[in-house]
Amino acid sequence: MAQCTIAVVTDQFVQRLRSICGDAAVLREPVQLLTYECDALPHLREKPAVVVLPASTSEVQQVVQLCSADGVPFVARGHGTGLSGGALPVPGGVVISLARLNRVLDIDIPNKRVTVEPGVTNLEITRQVAPFGYYYAPDPSSQQVCSIGGNVAENSGGAHCLKYGFTVHHVLEAEAVMPDGEIVRIGSSLPDAPGPDLLGVLIGSEGTLAIVTKVVVRILRRPETVQTLLAAYNSTSDAGAAVSEIIGAGIVPAAVEMMDALAIRAAEAAVHPNFPPADTVLIVELDGPAAEVRELFATVEAICRRTGSTVVEVAQNDEQRMRIWRGRKAAFAAMGRVSPNYYVQDGVVPRTKLPEVLGRIRALSERSGLGIGNVFHAGDGNLHPLICYDERIPGQSALAEEVAGEILQYCVEAGGSITGEHGVGADKKDYMPRMFSADDLDVMQQLRDAVDPQRLCNPGKVLPTPRLCGEVPGPYREHPVEKAGLAERF
Amino acid sequence: MTADCLRPGTAGDRVDGELPPQVAEPDSPQAFADALKQASAGRMSTVIRGGGTKLTWGRPPAAVDLVVSTSRLNRLIAHRHGDLTVTVQAGMTLRELNVALSGERQWLPIDSAFDEATIGGIVATNDSGPSRHRNGTPRDLVIGITLALTDGRLVKAGGTVVKNVAGYDLGKLVSGSHGTLAGIVDVTFKLVPIPQSSATLVAIYDDAAAIARDVAALDASQIEAAAFDIRADRERTYQLYLRIATSPAARDAQIAAARTLVSGDATVLTDVAERAAWAAQLETMLHGDATVRFSWLPSRLPQVLALLEELRRAGNVGVTFTGRVLGAGVARLTGETTALAAAVGRLRSSADIGNVVLLRGSQDLKERVEVWGPERTSDRVVRAVKNRLDPAGILNAGRGPI
Repeated sequence: MAQCTIAVVTDQFVQRLRSICGDAAVLREPVQLLTYECDALPHLREKPAVVVLPASTSEVQQVVQLCSADGVPFVARGHGTGLSGGALPVPGGVVISLARLNRVLDIDIPNKRVTVEPGVTNLEITRQVAPFGYYYAPDPSSQQVCSIGGNVAENSGGAHCLKYGFTVHHVLEAEAVMPDGEIVRIGSSLPDAPGPDLLGVLIGSEGTLAIVTKVVVRILRRPETVQTLLAAYNSTSDAGAAVSEIIGAGIVPAAVEMMDALAIRAAEAAVHPNFPPADTVLIVELDGPAAEVRELFATVEAICRRTGSTVVEVAQNDEQRMRIWRGRKAAFAAMGRVSPNYYVQDGVVPRTKLPEVLGRIRALSERSGLGIGNVFHAGDGNLHPLICYDERIPGQSALAEEVAGEILQYCVEAGGSITGEHGVGADKKDYMPRMFSADDLDVMQQLRDAVDPQRLCNPGKVLPTPRLCGEVPGPYREHPVEKAGLAERF
Repeated sequence: MTADCLRPGTAGDRVDGELPPQVAEPDSPQAFADALKQASAGRMSTVIRGGGTKLTWGRPPAAVDLVVSTSRLNRLIAHRHGDLTVTVQAGMTLRELNVALSGERQWLPIDSAFDEATIGGIVATNDSGPSRHRNGTPRDLVIGITLALTDGRLVKAGGTVVKNVAGYDLGKLVSGSHGTLAGIVDVTFKLVPIPQSSATLVAIYDDAAAIARDVAALDASQIEAAAFDIRADRERTYQLYLRIATSPAARDAQIAAARTLVSGDATVLTDVAERAAWAAQLETMLHGDATVRFSWLPSRLPQVLALLEELRRAGNVGVTFTGRVLGAGVARLTGETTALAAAVGRLRSSADIGNVVLLRGSQDLKERVEVWGPERTSDRVVRAVKNRLDPAGILNAGRGPI
């Protein structure tokens, strides 16, 4: 059985952290710790006992060994841009920031591989290889600041993952410090490493199985041509019909994005992308060899007109293309212009169920009285409803959270998922039983316990937390301690 | 295990020579899990079998007490063509599945050398062919899975949507596991449209440096190939195969662009001739005295080709080599066991080659050569997972990579 962990960070423990990483790399002052209390999901906050910033794999290893020996839980943190509280500290535990592991170690253009440390930002890889005509494909909206280590933890996607896939399709090998402090290499920079695909499990495990200290990614040749259009529609269902027709024609666009009226209004207010007045805009991007893009783009344009688009704007140059994307990528933050507070949800439905689920969300918005803007990756059914509320009005925060939960329920009922890219983290672990049975979750816990028997590595994330140590997740079962009359639930 | 699912093993059920006394053919997912549970309780060494096309892969079995066949779990559960996804039971063959999907002009972009290969076996071995150049290997296409555990439970991970990061990805975990962790009951994949048209540029060379140069030039160009292979089946004869699969006009434009980058003798294949050329690329997996899989960094292609020449000349070994230019290939070897063992050793000792696995070979050869290659640092972690999922150690015991 897993060992109960009650974190006790003693002065002696901190002293040893200092001797491993140096005084300056160990933060204990309350004002220093403030930054690390949350990630980009600020309503979940916890105080860590200490934050440590190792500067090498070996330092990470020594820190983890120390935590393991003393039974102190630890949470790895990249650049804190996560949206599910994956880097939320364990109260009284250690936060291991990978921000100083930020070197690009190797750029191998002939073999299309780049080796980086986890603190390197996503966009930095593209910056480094762009002069050679290459790029790193996964492009989460936070790519200017988010770290590759965090991308590995969350299996980050982005607007272009419809065609190019997620982080898991672009990482070849990782060096990782396991929860017991051992350094292992997972995957292989060469194809076809024999045995179970442990790398595929590690990527997207939200920092619960290991701390990644080196990552080998593959880079892609920049496509010869990129063409982008924006089509305005009077209704989301017409725009949805266009998406279905495009996919039905055998076209796999690089990206298909949709924004509804509220999201358009917010984006307009914030970055003035000058979108045409519309109930819904559809953004379609194709990339690839010039001859192919030319031909398929004509088909896409015709489909948009046929399905009732009122205005079709084709980007004539990079500047116009960037303007369209600026409007799209700014949509989240832009919500701040139209609402005092907003809650970003992340759910997935099968693409063909989009109109149905959007209808339910509209009805929910009317029923609850909260505005809900929709910005989503229409190609893969990944919804990002933005729920507007005002925390100054008593009860609205709780109502917003309830509405967000209700939307996830719609996603699950439509055969989708409670998260497409933001992760489960601390935020959604209690929704996991809506998607998975007790047995499903139990086998995931077994996998986790096999790798981290002490349950020290980012505990309390992904899987519903047993309220008593040793209790398995899932529906209520009497805990042995309760059975023995030694404890009761509170 | 109900009696109607069990029968005595016959000669056709042999696993790499070993005759299993019993064969279970469960007719439901729960019966599959029940069979594994009973086998685990009885500590029966168990081999899960799909089409039985790769039973000779892996270490020779010490004993096989039970074969669990997925032959009766062979239904297509749902083809959601509007969503480009399919859920299929493990025992359906890839070929049958792709015939069924073709009605909607979609396919599961995996190619296997084995006609009877099933979905379960393909995922368990992460079997792939030339199409991986564009679409990856099965692990890249799996979006959901149901597994039968040795404790008799059925569990699922992932789902039916292409984008989903909820929970651990157990579909990845069993990819390449060779039946050592759990039984695969059904799998959900993302699909791709069948391309409108296709053509393959073939170029022939008598100089390894020349083909390597052209491969590198094509690979660095903006041509987007559906498949890109090389072949070396005789002394100093090298071939390059570049498949373009897209709309007709785009295909012609890219084939024309590719021609300008090729110095060898080039022809363009379509239709029957094109299909035959790619079938031949897959066929290297079959026949011969041994099949060896290995990989390399693309820039090391000249060294790889030189090493294969060396084996041919110095080692008394017949070598047919086919590979993907991304750095993954298979060599079909013929020769005496001693020479074959030396050849595998030579491949393993090369700094330019890695992940050398002896997929197939005589018992004698497998006893002389470590089938899966040297221990990897992550094997300890994988074994800890195995101990949880298969505590009695019954699944593909002693044969698989863990």
